Amino acid sequence: MANGLSRGFDPRFFRHLVLRQVRQDYLENLTGFAWLVVQPLLLLAVYAFVFTQIFQSRIPDAGEVGYVAYLAVAFWPWTAFSEAVLKASGTIAGNAALVSKVAFANEQLPLATVTSVFLMHGIGYLAVLVVLQLLGTPLHWALFPVVLVLLVLLWLLACAIALFVSSLQVFVKDVAQILPPLMTFWFFTTPILYSAAMLPDELARIFAWNPMSWFVAGIRDALLYGRLSLGYWDAVMVVLIPVLLFLGLAWFRKFSGHFEDFL
Amino acid sequence: MSSLVRLDGVAKVYPRVHRPRERLHAFTSLLLGREPKEGAEVLSDVSLEVRRGESLGIIGENGAGKSTLLKILTGVIEPTRGTVESRARTAALLELGAGFQPEFSGMDNVRMKSALLGLTERELAERLDDILAFADIGQYIHEPVKHYSSGMVVRLGFAVVAASSPELLITDEVLAVGDESFQKKCIRWIDDFLAEGGTLMLVSHSMYLVQKLCRHALWLSHGKVAAYGDVHRVTQDYLAWHEARNRVEERHRSEARGDHGHYAVRSLELHTAGDGDTPELESGGRLEAELVLRSPDGRPPIGMFGLVRLDGTPVYGVSTEGAPGAMQPLDGAAEGEGELFRAVLSFDALDLMPGQYLLRGHALDPEGLRVCDTLERGFRVRGETRDFGLVRLPHRWQ
Repeated sequence: MANGLSRGFDPRFFRHLVLRQVRQDYLENLTGFAWLVVQPLLLLAVYAFVFTQIFQSRIPDAGEVGYVAYLAVAFWPWTAFSEAVLKASGTIAGNAALVSKVAFANEQLPLATVTSVFLMHGIGYLAVLVVLQLLGTPLHWALFPVVLVLLVLLWLLACAIALFVSSLQVFVKDVAQILPPLMTFWFFTTPILYSAAMLPDELARIFAWNPMSWFVAGIRDALLYGRLSLGYWDAVMVVLIPVLLFLGLAWFRKFSGHFEDFL
Repeated sequence: MSSLVRLDGVAKVYPRVHRPRERLHAFTSLLLGREPKEGAEVLSDVSLEVRRGESLGIIGENGAGKSTLLKILTGVIEPTRGTVESRARTAALLELGAGFQPEFSGMDNVRMKSALLGLTERELAERLDDILAFADIGQYIHEPVKHYSSGMVVRLGFAVVAASSPELLITDEVLAVGDESFQKKCIRWIDDFLAEGGTLMLVSHSMYLVQKLCRHALWLSHGKVAAYGDVHRVTQDYLAWHEARNRVEERHRSEARGDHGHYAVRSLELHTAGDGDTPELESGGRLEAELVLRSPDGRPPIGMFGLVRLDGTPVYGVSTEGAPGAMQPLDGAAEGEGELFRAVLSFDALDLMPGQYLLRGHALDPEGLRVCDTLERGFRVRGETRDFGLVRLPHRWQ
């Protein structure tokens, strides 16, 4: 807008926001930091128990990799993604005092939340990978940079979605109710607990359209099997995610001047 | 001098968003780029221009749209209609709450706010001592802001803003909250800020502050510009409007007054140098009042003048009793009207402070015991002064 006031993206302020979020969510309560690792570990244990002991699931293409490792490498990135989107969706309403009083680039709020969640879960992920390695799962560390690239792309996708949902939630409060079950649905339609190879053909064809499948498969291929095969989908995703981010930003900025009307 | 901020035909309509259905309607209008169908127009057609180094006071009753105007100026909200141009590189809005996060400590908020205001880490480190000294809230700086008193919040907010040395400073009724000594500190700082070429927009209910700190004033009334221009003229009109409003209320309360006895006021006329609907004079100017009374029994009644401010505050009263010869018989009475008497009162140098006043003419019985009739006329006193009160008392500085 035609306004010379500081409304652009401000790296210094953004860093403050991220650090603040990290402190608020993880460091300021006693269990926070431990919880960051314990909670996904517990969940992982529950899933592992249910699927390996009760359902006796076998992952056909897992090879020598155990189910727990198979699950863990995909579960952490998903947790980061899902938590980032859910948390970021409420950031505008949650910072009403700031948004309705101070002129600044509001998109920094959801973006900072996504970033802080990814940073913290990134640390947790690294810890889990080290634990897996120590417990005897051979991980292909040489391809870790590929995983990093994938995680950065996942972070960008979370940013794009966070921009859409956080702004939409200001206007349509129902988003807060709709989003969690939607994310759960997304979780179960992504081959995280299971392998895409276990799906019936028709379902597999539909599920292939799920961008999250691409992330999960890519991360597993690299870390567990040391495979890196570039294909058609990789090109699509590398183009699609920045476009989505750009659209999310455009959408967000179009409406940010009206947040205060609805808060 | 170049224009720093410019508003052209700005209007703001707040959509109704209380019920889900209304929210949906409002959001649909927004998506389609339409104006909200149902809404409260809190600002309409506001145009103003603030030049570099200027100081503009924004006044108006509660709910007149002042804070909304500031939000548009700072870019927190977009106007529904009209355009906003701002060339200020750095602008700071100072208001109650100061954009602080209540859960975080004062220190965290200082860091956050100074980052928002564009201070680098190094600049903040250099100025942190100044900020803490200016705010002067001691160990509370490490407490969450939610435990602060409103005065402490404003102290801290002002301290950070002062340290960031903005190009444009916008304050929304913050000085009223601080205590006496802090207010003085702030006013001194703003004085220096203006002297160094800073630009100020001040929202305040204190006409004293507005007159002291601003050269121009904008009076908002129900979202519209009621007056815009020289600070003295606008603030005087604003105060006069308030006095008039209070007076209407008062009149409703004492409708039953006015005992129409025998002795009546036939006419009261004011003469001043100015012309126009209401008599007008410069502070220290001349005012002449001619009171004509009617006496049914031919005895000269006692005439009395009462000078009050528009809200009814008495300023001065004088009567013809004890002024022999002041009440003169006058020819020209109609049939059955009795006798007419006339008194002319002249204030050669009426040192009233600027504002609106009433001159009341009373008819008393010849014994001076009972007010039989009253007539009043309004007049306006103009002038530019930073003195306050009702009258200027003769004085000299030594």
